[in-house]
Amino acid sequence: MATTQLATYLFILFSNRYLELSVLSYYCHITDQLRVYYGNNLGDTPRFNLSILSNMTVIPLHFVLPENLTAGKLLKKLSKKLDFQIVTQQYTIKTFYDSFDWRLYNADMVCEFNHSQIESQLNLLDRKSGALIAAENMQDIPAFSEDFPKGRLKKYLAKSLEMRALLPVSHLQYEAYRLNILNKDKKTVLRIQIDEYELLVNHIRLLPLKGYEKAARRVSEFLQEALELKPAENAVLNIALKLQGRKVKDYSSRLEIKLKPKMRADEASIIIYRQLLKSIQANEAGTIANIDTEFLHDFRVAVRRTRSGLSQIKDTLPATVVSQHAGFFSWLGQITGLTRDLDVYLLSFKEYKEAIPISLREDISPLYDFLKQKQSLAQKELVDKLESSEYRQQLTAWERYLKEPLPKKGKETHANSSVKELADQRIWKVYKRILKEGEAIKESSPAEALHDLRKTCKKLRYLMEFFQSLYTEKDMKASLKALKGFQTVLGDFQDYEIQEVNIKQFSEEMMVNNVPANTLLAMGVLVQHLDKMKCKARNDFAKQFAAFNKVENQSAFKMLFSNKA
Amino acid sequence: MKKIATYNIKGGVGKTSAAVNLSYIAAQSGYKTLIWDLDPQGASSYYFRVKPKVKGGSKALIAGKRDLDGLIKATDFENLDLLPADFSFRNLDLVLDAQKKPTQRLKKLLAPLTKEYDFIILDCPPNISLLSEAVFEASDILLSPIIPTTLSLRTLDQLKKYIKDNKLKHIQLIPFFSMADRRKKMHREIMSTLVEKHPDILEAAIPYASDIERMGWERMPLGGYVNKGRSIEAYQALWQEILQVI
Repeated sequence: MATTQLATYLFILFSNRYLELSVLSYYCHITDQLRVYYGNNLGDTPRFNLSILSNMTVIPLHFVLPENLTAGKLLKKLSKKLDFQIVTQQYTIKTFYDSFDWRLYNADMVCEFNHSQIESQLNLLDRKSGALIAAENMQDIPAFSEDFPKGRLKKYLAKSLEMRALLPVSHLQYEAYRLNILNKDKKTVLRIQIDEYELLVNHIRLLPLKGYEKAARRVSEFLQEALELKPAENAVLNIALKLQGRKVKDYSSRLEIKLKPKMRADEASIIIYRQLLKSIQANEAGTIANIDTEFLHDFRVAVRRTRSGLSQIKDTLPATVVSQHAGFFSWLGQITGLTRDLDVYLLSFKEYKEAIPISLREDISPLYDFLKQKQSLAQKELVDKLESSEYRQQLTAWERYLKEPLPKKGKETHANSSVKELADQRIWKVYKRILKEGEAIKESSPAEALHDLRKTCKKLRYLMEFFQSLYTEKDMKASLKALKGFQTVLGDFQDYEIQEVNIKQFSEEMMVNNVPANTLLAMGVLVQHLDKMKCKARNDFAKQFAAFNKVENQSAFKMLFSNKA
Repeated sequence: MKKIATYNIKGGVGKTSAAVNLSYIAAQSGYKTLIWDLDPQGASSYYFRVKPKVKGGSKALIAGKRDLDGLIKATDFENLDLLPADFSFRNLDLVLDAQKKPTQRLKKLLAPLTKEYDFIILDCPPNISLLSEAVFEASDILLSPIIPTTLSLRTLDQLKKYIKDNKLKHIQLIPFFSMADRRKKMHREIMSTLVEKHPDILEAAIPYASDIERMGWERMPLGGYVNKGRSIEAYQALWQEILQVI
């Protein structure tokens, strides 16, 4: 799918209300004289801050204009006090970009694409100070950081986005006026941008220049005192989203379930399942459209958590309900598995390549093509299933059940107990099981023992995440951290083993297609590498388990979850 | 990060024009660039309309009392900053001499800025002095404009000998022809003989041209007021060649 099409599709997909993107007419006014004066420098973005520190006071640099104050009127007022030149005046569309899970915003960055007839630039800004981190002139915005031209922008995007796609979040249309404030020598000492929006109040931004902070302060004071302008409190991104009925960070892959300790256990479990259902639904469209691998990943995590909940938050919901729906979620786990596995291979491909000698690196490319082809087949099958009436009906049935009012008194054993009581009991039980299983594992134990332990650890992890809000944040974080470290080694062991087995399987399948001998050789080296990594994880197990099982952790778990403490 | 000094023992050979125009071209192509005007005449500061004033003058600057970063001024051009000159720079030699390890001084002062910029261009006053020694220590590249005259041959030889005698191995000397007038038979002849003797002289030559002279009137780099032409193309070719050899 072409980037622009994708962008439009996603934009419509993810915005509850979107600003109309009809045929746009662009226009701009630049006198020839100005063009000569500023040469090639037209349209460059200066480095600026939303507020700067000067003489220990913060100077506001971003203001909102009162409703009736147009850019024209403001320019008239400014001209009485300041010597300036209008560099450009252009109709601009600003599109904010971020990943579905707001990775840039969470890393305190804002990515905006300003497109006009004379300029088409992607800017990455520091969200808090407004300072420009990186910029790049470009016409189309690639979905993935790896497809950006080499440079600062790519570096920053890659670090935050990783494998996630960059998606348009919101559009705004405005007339942008750029002025340079000049001193007696006609040197620019401050840049100003006035944005005349179609759907929100107008804004003025001062863009200070290094070494000329005094000018910024003087103009800021003038705007506040003589023109009585108020500093802007909300970033334009937040206002733009509000217009669409959205908020920033409206999706996160992290579970944030708020429960009260005295809540009835069945009521709490309904809240948990509702949250998980929301996550399944939020990721469904992106999974079907195959925008990036993480939609499916998050979709699967929510499915797995639901399954784990149904089996681990025992005896709260009626057994008939559990048995009716558990099968559906296990089916969802199965049908999504193959695509995810292939995604993982493709995501790891760079690592694979680095693991084999340089002389064989190019020979492994047929494996990539093979995986890519397999992935797109698996994806197609997955889409068919997610668009089937069977899926739709079962999910709707689950949703309907979660909306039903609870009976006054639950029939199941734990339905009426307090959620805190149930959480303590379940977590403590599963924790003890981990210790038992872990202690039983010796150097000679079979791989299955580690796989079983890995599953038990996941159960504990999910339980702790479901019930996180019932415990002190600090204690819970420490315990989760200990568990996560231990889970990594178990996860690695399992992943490398499966990859090793599957790559061997793939080589057999590829043989049929007459792949070059060197490709198979390279895959052989890769299998060896995976085996080495698997053994490393196996050898690390004892150490990691000992770390998890240390006395401090034991007493922390006991303190938190065991009523006997 | 590369530090480039435009330098020649002789004055009036187009050092400042080269520093100003090359830094402009570097900045335009996306490199974060700083130009440091070390000449008390403050010509490059003048071209960028920046007041040739440094708080505390050369003494405070060299003593490291003032953070270099706090003295930097943004020019009117994106990615291009300037460290202005000050009239007190005429005493830079004396001020440096009062320091311990005077020749290491500039290098030390510049160290914190090397992360911020891709190129730092030092616009130096002519002649060989303590300041130029400090510049040599601080720079990676010595970009030397040469007017095609017999005297220039001597200064280039002097400079090469100086670099050799002082074992300045870290430095890359890049000479190029400046203010070359192809209408003059002598210029053409000297250019061809010099190239034979000094194959390290760059191919790109900056012409003697009225639009370059107009910089003082326009008070901005050539690229700020001229879109195309022989002069701007010459600077662009020069910059491309420099990028290739460094």
